[in-house]
Amino acid sequence: MNSSFKFRKFKNIFFMSLFALSSLFVLIPLFLIFKYVFMMGATSLNFDFFTQLPMPVGEDGGGMKHAIWGTLTMVGIAASVAVPLGLFCGIYLSEFDKSPLANALRFCIDLLTGVPSIVIGIFAYILVVVPFKSFSALAGSFALGIIILPILTRSTEEILKLVPAHMKEAALALGMPRWKVIYYIVVRSNLSALITGMMLALSRAAGETAPLLFTAFGTRFLSFDLQSPMASLPVQIYTYAISPFDDWQRQAWAGAFVLIILVLGLNLLSRCLINYKAIIDFFKKGSP
Amino acid sequence: MNTNTETDLEVKNLHAWFGQFHAVKGISVVYPKQSINAIIGPSGCGKSTFIRCLNRIHEEVPGARSEGEIILKGVNINAPNIDPVSIRRQIGMVFQKPNPFPSLSIFENTIIGLKLQGVRQKAKLMEAAETCLRKAALWDEVKDKLHQQGTSLSGGQQQRLCIARALAVNPSVLLMDEPTSALDPIASAKIEDLMSDLKKEFTVVVVTHNMQQAARIADYTSFYILGEMIEHGLSSEIFTNPKVPQTEDYITGRFG
Amino acid sequence: MKKTPLISFRLQDKLNYSFLSLIALLIIALLIVMITLLFREAYPAVEQFGWGFITDSYWDPAADEYGGLAFLFGTVVTASIAVFLAAPVSISIALFINEILPAKIGKVLGLFVEMIAAIPSIVFGLWGLFFLAPWVNTTLTPFLKSTLGFLPLFQGPSFGIGILTASMILGLMIIPTISSICKEVFKTIPAHQKEAALALGATRYEMLRLSVIGPSFSGIIGASALGLGRALGETMAVAMVIGNSPQITSSLFAPAATMASIIANEYAEADSELHISALCFVAVLLFFVTFIINFMARTIVWKNERRLKSRG
Repeated sequence: MNSSFKFRKFKNIFFMSLFALSSLFVLIPLFLIFKYVFMMGATSLNFDFFTQLPMPVGEDGGGMKHAIWGTLTMVGIAASVAVPLGLFCGIYLSEFDKSPLANALRFCIDLLTGVPSIVIGIFAYILVVVPFKSFSALAGSFALGIIILPILTRSTEEILKLVPAHMKEAALALGMPRWKVIYYIVVRSNLSALITGMMLALSRAAGETAPLLFTAFGTRFLSFDLQSPMASLPVQIYTYAISPFDDWQRQAWAGAFVLIILVLGLNLLSRCLINYKAIIDFFKKGSP
Repeated sequence: MNTNTETDLEVKNLHAWFGQFHAVKGISVVYPKQSINAIIGPSGCGKSTFIRCLNRIHEEVPGARSEGEIILKGVNINAPNIDPVSIRRQIGMVFQKPNPFPSLSIFENTIIGLKLQGVRQKAKLMEAAETCLRKAALWDEVKDKLHQQGTSLSGGQQQRLCIARALAVNPSVLLMDEPTSALDPIASAKIEDLMSDLKKEFTVVVVTHNMQQAARIADYTSFYILGEMIEHGLSSEIFTNPKVPQTEDYITGRFG
Repeated sequence: MKKTPLISFRLQDKLNYSFLSLIALLIIALLIVMITLLFREAYPAVEQFGWGFITDSYWDPAADEYGGLAFLFGTVVTASIAVFLAAPVSISIALFINEILPAKIGKVLGLFVEMIAAIPSIVFGLWGLFFLAPWVNTTLTPFLKSTLGFLPLFQGPSFGIGILTASMILGLMIIPTISSICKEVFKTIPAHQKEAALALGATRYEMLRLSVIGPSFSGIIGASALGLGRALGETMAVAMVIGNSPQITSSLFAPAATMASIIANEYAEADSELHISALCFVAVLLFFVTFIINFMARTIVWKNERRLKSRG
């Protein structure tokens, strides 16, 4: 054993431990964030949070019922338009990927993916708020839809591209027109993965604040009127977090707790869905 | 040996291209009804391209096209006014790799072709599934697990499932593109047995890498090199007494 | 027996294709409309201030005078420090997961890293505002002042909120982006190249340097650039911890403002036409900067992938 070899060994161990250490840089903050959100959030959370509207400025108590409903409403409306569009765009990109139109679309989707969400907020402001002359839930939904669309298109394209060409040929050889091959074979055999992609996109949208700041704006009342401002969980958290009132800050933590449960829950649930078939099969095999 | 002389499928001067590449160069051949016809030749001789022209799946590849006549029951099916989709319901195809549709059950895999043609009655579908699985010699192995995924079967079973799937749309011709090359010898032997049964009902055209296989099962054999058909005739003659020296060289293993 | 369909199969396929093309056109048109409108909205400010907007840092809504240099500065500085902090960590994590940890444990660690990407940025902001900023103020700042205090970067008063805190949060947020792309880049390295290095008697670290990090260097750069693109556009977390004061300073402890944070703070309350237009001008700049960075990054990653694949 000469000294150069020893040095090399030492260097090896040094860098290996450095790599291991780096994961702590991620795990520690992650742990701390969860710790605080759960600690502060769970203790601040009460029944009122889900059932009450905000109290007038300065008074304690009240809840975020309106914001929870607002988030659900706007994400729902955004999804009902953006999900079909995203799926069809993804299908178009994966099945007809050589046409010039597909290249143009891919460029646009790439571009949209990179646009900062605050700029998407401005898009929605100009396109919806300005013509209607009012902040509105519709504008918020529009902005969230534009968040969902590129994410879903990308994931759909990636998933469907994995379908091997011989699978499509097998379907064509059975005498199916191409559109049936696409929707009944290619899409159907990847349905659970596509749903996962969709739920990931929705969970991203549900947690977005920036595009809602000056589109849906916010309100202190429960509202389902799409033409008027609507509260949302993230914006409500923001408003309360930067307020000087202790009770509002407490509620901001409760809101963050609920939001993180909602978003991570959707996220984890969708990951489980990938194995949905396996779970079903397990139960089927288990029963006689 | 096959004695049927009635013509089922006839090919006249068929050419095929991939972009600029001329893959199949003017092939003319007659396939009698209820016979097994093997196509052999070295890799890249155009044999796969040729049978992919017969059900017009070749033209689905971007940049690929074909010319010439393919006459099925007296009609040229390679004409531009003929819809390839309806042709493929009369000419079934089995591929090199077993490829049952993932996430579909064995039952659904078998009858998917019928289902997408609009057949909805459960009883009819069930009956078709049983008939085809029986014809594909798979029924006894899968009848108790029809609702498990098709991909859960072994490779040989998957390939027979693919054969059943092709039979369900009721074709008269069955094309097989090296159907046993991805299988082990025992599974291959089962498929070969099955092919001998299938020929009672169907005209089978099979591309194979395996000359022994062609000699064992085929009534007629064609030998291709570089997109041209060098020799075509009764298997018994091709393998014992080839007329063309290149065929003899290939069969005796001097090249290829 | 054989029934001909009502509409021929070819027509059915054509209809399907036209339908999908129509949707594609719709999306493309929508994007073009949005960008055009953004430009139109920003035009008054462009006309009024021209290039001076980028070179002037005087921003005063009360006087209706706008210059965006301070925001450009804040954005570039915070995002760059974020990448500077995040890139080494992300690359190490990618190596650790891909090459060192057993596959199962690596997957779990990977899931944790991905969880960071799933946390909404408002939650990062909240945590940053109430916990990271005080910690930076009471613990990190004194430490940095006592060790590196001779640098102007680490001088001046600290309030906790400011460039440093914002950069740290941003760095944490872009770790999943960089590390997941690095993982993909490392995966394209064929196993035989690694084995070749090991067969020469290289240690694990030497093997990683020789056959993994070396060949994928440009891919790593691309991944970091994509992280930069994300950091540039991040809004809420930054807006909550940066202090929102449009100034250019040399101290990392000082508050600043970014392009995204100023839009978030002022857009809803802007009432003069010029103010809105100036904010839209900021948005246009932000849009362009992120677009160029993302475009370059993607090209680098893509080229690197092709190069590695062609080598097989």
